[in-house]
Amino acid sequence: MTTPRETILQHLHRRLRSVLPARGWDSPRTFPDLTARFAQTLQAVKGEVYQVGSWSQALARVSELLDALAASRVVVNPDPPLDQVAWSKRWPERSWFVVGQTSGSLREFCARADVGISGAMAALAETGSIVVGSGPSHSRMATLLPPVHIALVATTVLVPDLFAWIRTRPHSMPAALTIISGPSKSADIEQTLAVGVHGPRRFIVVLYDDEHASGTGGARDAR
Amino acid sequence: MWGERTFQAFREAARQALSDGQIQQALRGATGRFREERVHALQDLPDADGLRDRLKAIRAATLARLAEHLTTFERNATAAGARVHWARDGAEAIAIILALAKERQVRTVAKSKSMTAEEINLNPALEAEGIRTVETDLGEWIVQLAQEHPTHIIAPAIHKTREQVAALFSEVAGEPLPPDNIPALTATARRLLRDVFLTADMGITGVNIAVAETGSIVLVTNEGNGRMVTTLPRVHVAIMGVEKVVPTWEEAAVWLQLLARSATGQPLSIYTSILTGPARAEDPDGPEEMHIIILDNGRSRLVGTEYEEVLQCIRCGACLNVCPVYRKVGGQTYGSPYSGPIGAVVTPLLFGLDRYFALPHASTLCGACLEVCPVRIDLPRMLLSLRRDVAERGLLPARDRKLEQGIAWLMRHPRLYRWVMRGVRLLQRPFVREGRLHLPAPLHFAAGRDVPALAPRSFMELWRATEQQHADGSPSM
Repeated sequence: MTTPRETILQHLHRRLRSVLPARGWDSPRTFPDLTARFAQTLQAVKGEVYQVGSWSQALARVSELLDALAASRVVVNPDPPLDQVAWSKRWPERSWFVVGQTSGSLREFCARADVGISGAMAALAETGSIVVGSGPSHSRMATLLPPVHIALVATTVLVPDLFAWIRTRPHSMPAALTIISGPSKSADIEQTLAVGVHGPRRFIVVLYDDEHASGTGGARDAR
Repeated sequence: MWGERTFQAFREAARQALSDGQIQQALRGATGRFREERVHALQDLPDADGLRDRLKAIRAATLARLAEHLTTFERNATAAGARVHWARDGAEAIAIILALAKERQVRTVAKSKSMTAEEINLNPALEAEGIRTVETDLGEWIVQLAQEHPTHIIAPAIHKTREQVAALFSEVAGEPLPPDNIPALTATARRLLRDVFLTADMGITGVNIAVAETGSIVLVTNEGNGRMVTTLPRVHVAIMGVEKVVPTWEEAAVWLQLLARSATGQPLSIYTSILTGPARAEDPDGPEEMHIIILDNGRSRLVGTEYEEVLQCIRCGACLNVCPVYRKVGGQTYGSPYSGPIGAVVTPLLFGLDRYFALPHASTLCGACLEVCPVRIDLPRMLLSLRRDVAERGLLPARDRKLEQGIAWLMRHPRLYRWVMRGVRLLQRPFVREGRLHLPAPLHFAAGRDVPALAPRSFMELWRATEQQHADGSPSM
């Protein structure tokens, strides 16, 4: 008896035709100002963007945001350089879960957390997106369950578009990569936009210039 | 269960939709908005037409070597820790999922919107085995609570009013919810479904794209339910049609660049999830198991035929929004998870022409679907071919067949044809008003439609007269 796999593949094998493989898309897009395009596209879908000059300013902005949100429970995916921050020392009045460092149930913490904080491995200017991946200290829940997601993104990781990012994608894929292009939304009831259906209601990107890579950020933007 | 669509069944369903003012308004609003936003989103691209040509080439080349790409995908997905299953039809796919669920004592399944799951009627099969199955896409959940079917590929509940939604949600929430506050209704859904995500043992999704070179699947959602059901339950099951594969990431990027723009006019959907196997040992969260079901269900037999092109579809729904038939009759009228022009072609091909022979006729052949399709699928060509198949297989009602045979015979006799037409032109006179034919009811062969009257002079007569004029003096160019 043939298995379903054999039946389907035999069927398709009989119809194999030789063709030239199609290629991807090789007309790279450029923007005069990657940061401006990123911010404009993300803001158009109610994402929030703050631009600051340095990492320390980025942390100061996070502090202000946490105050404004009155956040008491915060979960952090410590992507470098977020791993260098002593979160609970700096903000002892809040309860912190640093993925990979804090013990206890990540799931229970995330389910009741007010804010999730992460970095980004890449940001796409054209579509106003950031890319986050799973891994040892990268929780999927941290950027999904809390009602607010704050991403700290170095301008050095900005690329023009999806095609540019795909060319530099990780050689070995993590179990989950997520391209996030705004706050969760739906228009399923009478075509009326509602924000924050299942994922975060607020998606806040703090874009900072990376002083450790000084000069390259500006050079990229001018490309 | 999905219905069949004979001419009578289609006309009956269409009549219902046409006389429902609320559905008419919803269709006008939704399809109009999608149309405009698609145009804006494509205008933002420097070379949208070039990109569409490229996607067409990619889809065609992939289908020509489909067996190879599927086995490469299977190999790489397996290497990443996923289990790949094959199903010849819906019954086999359901059996696989039920076995997985029973072995793991699954009590609750959280589903993310999947057309393929709709196609195989998965939910009733799970419910029959006592497994609580909850749709988590807001629109899909509304449709599930109302015990109806989705009416648009990407907007399943466009036919429901906020009052109807409030009534449905009130029942689940156990408290009356006011219909005037859509954000509050959405917040209620968030709260109620959050519990489902956190307690479900199994998440079931479709697959937007399967990338062979890394064995990854891509899911796009706006609400985040796709991320939820692939993150929180301990088992993730993904169902994909055999045609959803693409060889490399470079090609997948072309697909993604056009998918959301064509569907909702977004540059990308809010969340694009790229999943490669279950959670790794060192990951802090994610599903312990990932199963991918590759479903044929009538697709492989289309490869290499004149209908192969229909497998290039990326399910964006753009053709629905421009179709003059869909925009009036809506999704329910098609009696299939796939409606509109793509549904009129793919439904009879997958589920049987004998059950759905009215659908290829539910088109004016205006060509708007071909014009907007991101993969430039020639739906009008296939609609005509299917009409031919309907006639050849003797599925036409006797009255229609005799009428068409008579017209065909007449057209093969040009002289007689001209005489008859001249006669009809005289006979129609009492019934013509403003260029349209208004026949008394028993004679009216096209109830519900405007039929243009025959022009006072035929094209051939006009042509001959023009030639005559030229011959008489004014020299032609």
